[in-house]
Amino acid sequence: MDLAATLYLGVTFGLFVIFVGIVMRTYSRKNRDKNETAKYRMLDDD
Amino acid sequence: MEKPQYNTEIVKSFVHWSVLWGLVAVLVGVIVSIQMTNPEMNFPPYLTFGRLRPIHTNAGIYGWGVGVIFATFFYIVQRLCKVRLWSDKLARFQLWFFNATISAAALTLLLGFTTSKEYHEMEWPIDLMIVILWVSFAINIIMTIIKRKEEQMYISLWYMMAAIVGVAILFLVNSAAVPVSLFKSYSAFAGTNDANVQWWFGHNAVAMVLTAPPLAMFYYFLPKSTGVPIYSHKISIISFWSLIFMYLWTGAHHLLWTPVPDWIQTLAMAFSVMLIAPSWGSVINGYLSMKGEWHQMRENYLVKFLILGITFYGLQTLQGPMQAIRSFSAFIHFTDWVPAHIHMGTMGWVSMVCFASIYFLVPRIYGKELYSIPLANLHFWLTLSGQLIWSISLWVAGVLQAGMWNAMNSDGSLTYTFMETMVEMYPYWWARTTGGAVFTLGVLVFIYNLFKTVRSGEKTAPLTASSEGRA
Repeated sequence: MDLAATLYLGVTFGLFVIFVGIVMRTYSRKNRDKNETAKYRMLDDD
Repeated sequence: MEKPQYNTEIVKSFVHWSVLWGLVAVLVGVIVSIQMTNPEMNFPPYLTFGRLRPIHTNAGIYGWGVGVIFATFFYIVQRLCKVRLWSDKLARFQLWFFNATISAAALTLLLGFTTSKEYHEMEWPIDLMIVILWVSFAINIIMTIIKRKEEQMYISLWYMMAAIVGVAILFLVNSAAVPVSLFKSYSAFAGTNDANVQWWFGHNAVAMVLTAPPLAMFYYFLPKSTGVPIYSHKISIISFWSLIFMYLWTGAHHLLWTPVPDWIQTLAMAFSVMLIAPSWGSVINGYLSMKGEWHQMRENYLVKFLILGITFYGLQTLQGPMQAIRSFSAFIHFTDWVPAHIHMGTMGWVSMVCFASIYFLVPRIYGKELYSIPLANLHFWLTLSGQLIWSISLWVAGVLQAGMWNAMNSDGSLTYTFMETMVEMYPYWWARTTGGAVFTLGVLVFIYNLFKTVRSGEKTAPLTASSEGRA
């Protein structure tokens, strides 16, 4: 595997790890309820 | 908390201008469709299909689509951030520069100045104007978000920021060119690289102009119209990030069976199929948000537009990946199936959501009741039937065309000449013109209803979410 291919693979893997991190953070116990508050707040009168 | 005074004047102005450019787009669309069936309706050098077709697409995507994006983003960002727009003056500058840019684009395209890149036909001076325009817009939206008084960012804000950043990157890269005169430039990329960059831009213009912003509008205006929150904010966040991670890899599906490296084609094909998941994440979230509220499909014209809009988004995001598969693409590419696919997206998904957004905005920013809900319902049915006539006729045409192109005699020669396949298309092209005319009639009803609302609609108390749009 040459350097370019290794880099492509590295970037792809890195992006995947970031995505998994986002999913875990969104559904973590700490944030699970907090992440739903915005959908109620946006219904407040303008 | 003290309520801020929002800037509604700029929203009004962008609504007016976007509707005007939308009318231009559909009228020119009907004209170019007639030029397909009646070639004698081409009047060289200016009023030919080749010159008018990019005016139709650019007026539609950038005049109507981006105009509505400006109007709705300015409306939404202030309310979701609970602060006034960062700069009124910058927004006012942006309004006039927007109209100057769209007018300059239309004029230069009519005069025949073109880069020949689809959806990026404008020559380099117009590109510079677009960069100034977009930077002004980006600064105003991002600064408003930065000074927000709401800690949690609602999903619409994420889609808005993605659109702003995405368009900037795509446009700057695809604009790279060497000017040789005031209205002529050559791409900085060569050969297959140029094609690859162009379709990375072209397909992601669909993502960042025709997907992310309408989703921002949908996620804002659906709960505001029904009076109930979206089903899951968490699902919307995951859908958003997966869409963002996947979309930018898919552009090369426009280049299947070309000299572009095989692995790029396969990568684009794979990511296109994977894209079904985040797209349907939003579709399902929209449907589940209607749980217990489906009766509003009968009672609330806004909900009709929004739910049919998200339904066409769902259909679009199944059909698109199907077309991105090599074997299917080999059959369908270059046929009339493809414009049918695009128009289900623009007339079905994007315009339905834009119409709903404007119907929601106008009574609120003018403080008047909508002039006529029956007319809004009539507009809905004209939009729906016009779009279906348009799309279905060209899907049938596309399959017929592909079948005829691929038909072979036992000795290996082609069964049909190209002219024979063209002649077979005429009834379908007439059906397309009819569909376009019906859709245009709907747009005229829409404009009349808005005009009467502004001019003579009854003054109203501030509308609440749950009272909005009821027939």
